[in-house]
Amino acid sequence: MSNRLINYSLIFYIITFFVFLFGPLIIMSITAFNSADFPRISPWDCLSFRWFNEGMVDYVGQHQAGLLTDQKLKEGFYNSIFIGFFVVLLTVPIGLAAALVLTQINPKLRELFYSLSIMPVLFPGVIIGISTVVLWNRLSGLSDEGILSEVGRNGIFLTILAQTCFISTYCFLIFVARLQRFDRSQEEAALDLGATQTQVFFKILLPYLAPAIGSSAVIAFLASFENYNTTVFSILSDRTLTTVIASKVRLGITPAISALAFAIIVITVLAVIIYEFYKRRVDRLKKIEEQTLLASQSSDSRVQKIEIPKINFIKPLSFFIIIAIILSILFTQVLKNNLYGDACIANVEEEKKRKIEEQRKLEEEKFKLSEEDLQSGNKGGNSAFGDIFNSDLFEY
Amino acid sequence: MNLFSSLIKKNGPIIGTYLLIAIIFWFIFLIIIPQLYMVDLSFRPNLSPLERGGDKDFYTLEHYKHFLFGSAGSNNYFNVVDISVFFKTIFISIIVTILNLLFCYPIAFYIAKVAQPNSARFLIIALIIPFWINELLRSFALRVLLANEGVINTFLTQIGLIDTGLLFITNNVGLYSGLTYAYLLLMMFPLYNAIESLDKNQLEAAKDLGSSTFWTHIRVVIPHAKPGIVSGCTMVFMLTVGALATPVVLGGPNTLWFPELIYQWFKMSNNWSRGAAYSFLLLIISVIFVLTMMRLFKVRIGEIIK
Amino acid sequence: MSASVELKNASVTFGNFYAAKNINVKINGGEFFSFLGPSGCGKTTLLRAISGFQDLSEGEVLIDGVDMSRIGPNKRPTSLIFQNLALFPLMSVADNISFSLEVRGVDKKKRRSRANELIELMALDGQGEKMVHQLSGGQKQRVAIARALAIEPKVLLLDEPLSALDLKLRQRMRTELRAIQKRVNITFIYITHDQSEALTMSDRIAVMNEGEIEQIGLCADVYNKPLTPFVATFVGENNSIDGKLTEVSSNEATISTENGSFKSCLNNSDGKYSIGDEVFLFIRPEALELAKNGNFDNVIDINIDTFEFEGNIKNYFAKLGSNKKIKFSIPNSVDTSDIHSGSNIQIGFNKLNSVILKKGQLAVDT
Ligand SMILES: Nc1ncnc2c1ncn2[C@@H]1O[C@H](COP(=O)(O)OP(=O)(O)OP(=O)(O)O)[C@@H](O)[C@H]1O
Ligand SMILES: [Mg+2]
Repeated sequence: MSNRLINYSLIFYIITFFVFLFGPLIIMSITAFNSADFPRISPWDCLSFRWFNEGMVDYVGQHQAGLLTDQKLKEGFYNSIFIGFFVVLLTVPIGLAAALVLTQINPKLRELFYSLSIMPVLFPGVIIGISTVVLWNRLSGLSDEGILSEVGRNGIFLTILAQTCFISTYCFLIFVARLQRFDRSQEEAALDLGATQTQVFFKILLPYLAPAIGSSAVIAFLASFENYNTTVFSILSDRTLTTVIASKVRLGITPAISALAFAIIVITVLAVIIYEFYKRRVDRLKKIEEQTLLASQSSDSRVQKIEIPKINFIKPLSFFIIIAIILSILFTQVLKNNLYGDACIANVEEEKKRKIEEQRKLEEEKFKLSEEDLQSGNKGGNSAFGDIFNSDLFEY
Repeated sequence: MNLFSSLIKKNGPIIGTYLLIAIIFWFIFLIIIPQLYMVDLSFRPNLSPLERGGDKDFYTLEHYKHFLFGSAGSNNYFNVVDISVFFKTIFISIIVTILNLLFCYPIAFYIAKVAQPNSARFLIIALIIPFWINELLRSFALRVLLANEGVINTFLTQIGLIDTGLLFITNNVGLYSGLTYAYLLLMMFPLYNAIESLDKNQLEAAKDLGSSTFWTHIRVVIPHAKPGIVSGCTMVFMLTVGALATPVVLGGPNTLWFPELIYQWFKMSNNWSRGAAYSFLLLIISVIFVLTMMRLFKVRIGEIIK
Repeated sequence: MSASVELKNASVTFGNFYAAKNINVKINGGEFFSFLGPSGCGKTTLLRAISGFQDLSEGEVLIDGVDMSRIGPNKRPTSLIFQNLALFPLMSVADNISFSLEVRGVDKKKRRSRANELIELMALDGQGEKMVHQLSGGQKQRVAIARALAIEPKVLLLDEPLSALDLKLRQRMRTELRAIQKRVNITFIYITHDQSEALTMSDRIAVMNEGEIEQIGLCADVYNKPLTPFVATFVGENNSIDGKLTEVSSNEATISTENGSFKSCLNNSDGKYSIGDEVFLFIRPEALELAKNGNFDNVIDINIDTFEFEGNIKNYFAKLGSNKKIKFSIPNSVDTSDIHSGSNIQIGFNKLNSVILKKGQLAVDT
């Protein structure tokens, strides 16, 4: 039947889709464990964790930093956290205020107000960064010293402002969604019972919005943390994690970035798994509560029979166990074949040095040859070596 | 002002003042003034801070002229490079948007209407995870694969299929696939939400009335999902056209993506007013696109962004 | 403690639409007073005006003789029970009940004891620590009342609080509400579109239509002596027959219709009626009896259409000569073995059990 065919091809397509989605990330993660100085899988040098730690000193004597030893990364990381913190501090109250005003404003103005509120996310990020920088540069130019000129040239301050501009919209949207389900009569009930408007805000509205405050804070922090397009302009001479990553990638790709990405992937996956478990637990508890309530209030004999599904720990657990077994088998294989450890790295490096030495000699000979060629009118170039990007990408 | 007094009246003096300060700070100081100043700057010559407000500080169209006709010395009448970058960026963004729509539609439909609740939930999580990872790093992952000495090339040379590496990056294969990869989720979720709200009975009714799968989609699912499609397309287009991170990582040696051009004027040439002028062009394109989508598909702005 | 509530020439407009128009009513302290009217007639609007959530566009609200126009809802001696109750879902039952004390800075111990008092009064024992969503409908109802009573308001305003409950519970809560009102002895202003609810609980009711009050009076008066065709048809069921007046005396009149002439009483006529006026004659279904079972001032020939057995009564639907429909109800105990679909019989009614009113708007047939 054609229907079956459609179904199978749909499933096949979905599998392909996910392979493309995850494939690059997985392969990149694997390259983080290869000791080679270029992120690759084959040829595989040695299994090593050095890109997470100390990095390596290449044969020219230049130090290529690993994840933990990279000062710039570290600085960028702390700056990102600092910025994210202040962005959360600003965006959550702003988004909340705008969402509240939206619910109170005269319906004629509502569309306009809403459009203005979501404008920042429709603007390309670069524009928000640029507009903030040019404005504050001008402001700081107005006076030679004093706080304005100081602050207007502070990349971190500008980044906080620029990010606040559009991240506030994310918070705004989260609050609007939650407020839509808010029963306004609760506010009136509180007023009617004698609460002041301030009390209504703190005792009724804020508790109701607490989950939205939590999720908008998380979203705001993540959005701030991973923003590049706006930050790259507003950060001026400072750096954040993303701008450090970008400039590293432009200078040539190193496995240290694979290591960083791998770390982020692991954290993300763990966070998602934990969140999912937490959510299921909460759902389950809610269900139990509802069931007991129903059972206590009804004498209907059908009620008690409903079974509350238990969380199945076996499946995910067995999944992790299988992965752990596979990993340990792989690791013992690696150890057996001397593919792990300093000795292996030393070996490989020795090998490489030798090869390079050889190559250099070969090249010298070639060079001689080609010089001879040149003399006889034969133009010959040699650009087969080296990654083309390392040189080209950095033209600007 | 009316708004002021009604806010105070509805919320009391303390909360009312907080609301007012927060929205004025946001709207006026963070959104409106910076944008206006940037537009203003784009019509002024590039001056050092000292020259600001002096004789040379007058309104001019020089930056926009430069975009159209290039610098005086060039031998082309039009500024071929910048204009072609501009239109190429728009064109490719449209292609990327369409590809995203085509790629995402079957998945969104499958998750929303075919899959069992549990596996749907699993698939959604599986979709979210990659997109929690920074755009730069995702592009980097592609770069690892596609670089001249990257995983794919070394693999292909090793099994002897090719002799020298395929120039994915130089030929912009990397950039285009990176851009397509980057914002898939922003197409997926509006689509999913829209399709999800479709009553399953409608699908069954259509089938019952003898409609083929294809026609059911054309006549029932797609019209229902229209707001989601418009929303997803708008978001993807806007992000693609304004993308900077992906082109930085995956751009070949001589492709310039329009935001990269802005970046150059701004950061490399230190010509801020020209950067502002080019930004303004990008802004105009974005606004035109949103308005066209709203007009064309008769949706309101609130439906585009949720 | 209870207080009187007075509305003087009160109107509320939304744009150019009058949601309440020129309302004049004085509700006495300690009274159970109901506003009765169809959906959308402006009852909630009126209640919100009394509690202070809705500004009047004209007129004033007086509570115990004091003008309320400059006093906000949180300062008025009224408590409102919302149509949807508006309990605070994030607080426990006890916290809900003592909320009004909490916002006034009453210390915890006093709050506790007052909450316990009310929990007992409302027969909610053992529910204090529960969350609102763990309660049943009737319990929620009682929590809402307890919450409103906690600061001892002088006036309790109730906006169709029973509409969400099922029939059994609704009937039980009616009795309960009435008992609570007697116990706490404060003014209850109750809003409903359900006439039996209004009639069973209230001392007096005001019938509203399209923003205006049609009649104010004791329950029995409103039922037996409606002043307008709307009241006659909205409160309880009524058969209406239209015709012209042919004879008018001080308290009696004769109406001539397509189906003959009938004699009836006039309420508060005061010379308002004269011969030739276009009027309605209203007869309630239970006022119509089988003509053979007694002597009646008026007798009508009818043709039986259908029949409905309701338990205590039997409802008959019949046609008059002019094909006009009429409904009458007979107690179950009366022998009706000779009445069938299609049979032609005679029914009668006394002039005291019918009303003549000038033509006007009828309540939409339900
Ligand atoms: N804020 C408002 N703006 C405009 N019109 C309103 C507003 N509030 C109420 N109305 C209108 O006023 C009229 C009366 O509304 P109200 O809520 O008082 O009716 P109600 O008698 O309580 O009806 P129900 O029995 O359905 O609750 C309605 O026609 C309603 O549409
Ligand atoms: Mg109402």
